[in-house]
Amino acid sequence: MSFAAPLFAWVGGAIALGVVALHLLAWRRPPTSPLPTARFAPDAPVRTVAPAVRPTDLLLLAVRVLAIILVSAALAGPRFPSRIHGLGRVIVVDRSHGSEAWAYIDRAARSIYRAGDALVLFDSAARAVRRPTVDSIVAASPTRASGGMSAAMVVAIRAANELQRVRDSVEIVVVSPFGSDAFDGATASIRRVWPGTVRTMRAGTSANDTARTRPLDVRAQSGDPVAVALSLDGAALVGAVRVVRDSATAGDTAWARQGGAVVVWPSGPAQWNARPAGDTAFGVTVSTLVWGSPGMPARSATVVAPFVRRAAPPPGRVVARWDDGDPAATEIPLGAGCMRSVAVTVPPAGDLALTPAFRRFAEQLAQACLGAHAWAAASDSDVETVLPGTTARGAQQTLSVSDTTRRDSAVVRWLLAAALAALVAELVMRRGTANATA
Amino acid sequence: MREPRTAREEERQRRGEGDGSSPETRSSLLDAIRGVKWPALRAVAGALPGGHHSRLRGAAPELSEYRVYRQGDDPKRIDWKLLARSDRAYIRLAEDRSTVSTLLVVDATASMAYPDRTLGKWKAACDVSVGLAAVAHASRDPVGLVVVSGDGMRQLPPRTRRGIVGELARALDDVTPRGSRALAPAMSRIRSRIRVAIVSDFLGDADDVRRRAGEVAAAGGEVHAIHIVADEELDPPARSFLAVDPEDASLARPFVAEARAAYLERFAAWRSELAASWRVEGLSYTIARVSEPASRVVRRVAGAALGTGRAAPDVRRETR
Repeated sequence: MSFAAPLFAWVGGAIALGVVALHLLAWRRPPTSPLPTARFAPDAPVRTVAPAVRPTDLLLLAVRVLAIILVSAALAGPRFPSRIHGLGRVIVVDRSHGSEAWAYIDRAARSIYRAGDALVLFDSAARAVRRPTVDSIVAASPTRASGGMSAAMVVAIRAANELQRVRDSVEIVVVSPFGSDAFDGATASIRRVWPGTVRTMRAGTSANDTARTRPLDVRAQSGDPVAVALSLDGAALVGAVRVVRDSATAGDTAWARQGGAVVVWPSGPAQWNARPAGDTAFGVTVSTLVWGSPGMPARSATVVAPFVRRAAPPPGRVVARWDDGDPAATEIPLGAGCMRSVAVTVPPAGDLALTPAFRRFAEQLAQACLGAHAWAAASDSDVETVLPGTTARGAQQTLSVSDTTRRDSAVVRWLLAAALAALVAELVMRRGTANATA
Repeated sequence: MREPRTAREEERQRRGEGDGSSPETRSSLLDAIRGVKWPALRAVAGALPGGHHSRLRGAAPELSEYRVYRQGDDPKRIDWKLLARSDRAYIRLAEDRSTVSTLLVVDATASMAYPDRTLGKWKAACDVSVGLAAVAHASRDPVGLVVVSGDGMRQLPPRTRRGIVGELARALDDVTPRGSRALAPAMSRIRSRIRVAIVSDFLGDADDVRRRAGEVAAAGGEVHAIHIVADEELDPPARSFLAVDPEDASLARPFVAEARAAYLERFAAWRSELAASWRVEGLSYTIARVSEPASRVVRRVAGAALGTGRAAPDVRRETR
């Protein structure tokens, strides 16, 4: 600790010493002793100055000295450069999805870990390691659970706030393969809570920036509204999906058995169970089919429009329902893949296929099979979108001299308040002592 | 002459407590003053035969002088043999010796209980009083006692009987000096032609006492003032303390180093003034320090009647 104006501290110390000296040189009545010839002594004030061999009222003296020291310390302006210079880091280590990438993650985490850094391990849950060391990373074992980046960020931000008390600056370093399933809708919001830097370090996988550009496998006639909707959306496809706008062929079935998802979405009347004529629904909703992508987290998609229902999909797992609850799309496992039947007749005319709601609806239906979802790494751009390195607010709230000044000013206020309290206590104690003496 | 022990002295002796007024000390005092005479300052008018010169001249066996017979003289006192030889009538005169009653007025107020740990002033006053009583009683003088304390006044009328000195000693031992009371009223009932010895520190009504003593002396009496002074009063402790008058708690003076010189000067001046005031009126004044042996004080008081009394060596200069 240093002082902005150390002269006040010296003066305060001198005053405190003076108070102690005056306390020891107390005005007091000398001891009484009878003397028949006392009348011959000069008449003088009874109180005399005598050195207090056994000083009394030590508590009162302590309060007085404390008040003086507090006032002088407040006037001197204390500074607390107690932070450890340098960067403190919160290492967030992803140990989900087994041991495929763990060796890389472990190596990367150990390479950046330094003494004093905080360590957060996460899979589906996250925990901060108390008194972490490099061995804490080694001792961590991978799990088969999926990763939860939001929970990890919550714990990491909490650890970063604690670390910020003793460090000049703090950053969060996330070491993870960054699977697309690790993010959810809250991840970006949680990230914005931390004003500092978040550095991402991908380990064990390469960026999956090409997966989203894979062309759709849509078998449809030219100008098919579904094909148009899927092509406009950009189709964040994950895994092998084939959309057929007619009926499934033997080749489609064989392809599905090999792990693909065949979406049978007839453009005309399907050969499934026919429904009564004139049956019209005004809304259809697809449930969440995917784990969610970094840029567009998983959610349901609903299209509100008059749909003429001519057939009901074959029995299977319902993936979409009409507004009255009847199944609109079902999925049947087939070998390693699945066969998804969509009984939603899209009018060839009109702009329904161009609406965002229908595009999301089509996208949801054109995802991989529910039971055969494949893990995929998120792209760097998605990771950067969700976990940006810095935020605008963070640039303003980085530790700076102004923060130190504010903190020191708060200390001065507390010192003055404590000095005032000590002075009040001294007054009360002095009155009590005077009453006791009287 | 060995006085009987008082009950308190026996109790102290039994408990093994020794102090300045132990029976041995009292006995040694009586031994030390054996043979001391305390003659009256002037001829007394007593009728009883005693050891003091009487103003009466009569038929004592010791011839003093012859005087021509005058009308009115007792014919029985004519020296017939001288008449036969010289044919002149002379009467035979002889110096009579008479007794004088001695009354000891002892101050037992709180100021005499000093120092409070040893009660040195009170014990010195008791020893001097007993010594004077013993000396007076040895001359067959009636001896009485008046003790004035805060509790009241205790009086033993002058008596000649055997053992009166012991009674006086026991009466003094039974008194505890305390309180405050004037001495002068105790002297108001003193009849004239009596010898009075006032043993006090004269820190009370000194002027009234001196005035009353002058009246007694003017009436033919004899007054001796024995001023008891403690060594601690002459040389107070060097430490700083708040001096409180034992007889007046409201009188408190800080006694510090700066006040010491002024105190000594004022006290010495007061003692000189006191001695001078008594002697101016023809009264005997003797100052006695507590540390001074009581026998010496007694001899000095008795010697004052013979004109050989001397002040205590330590305070001689102060009392001149």
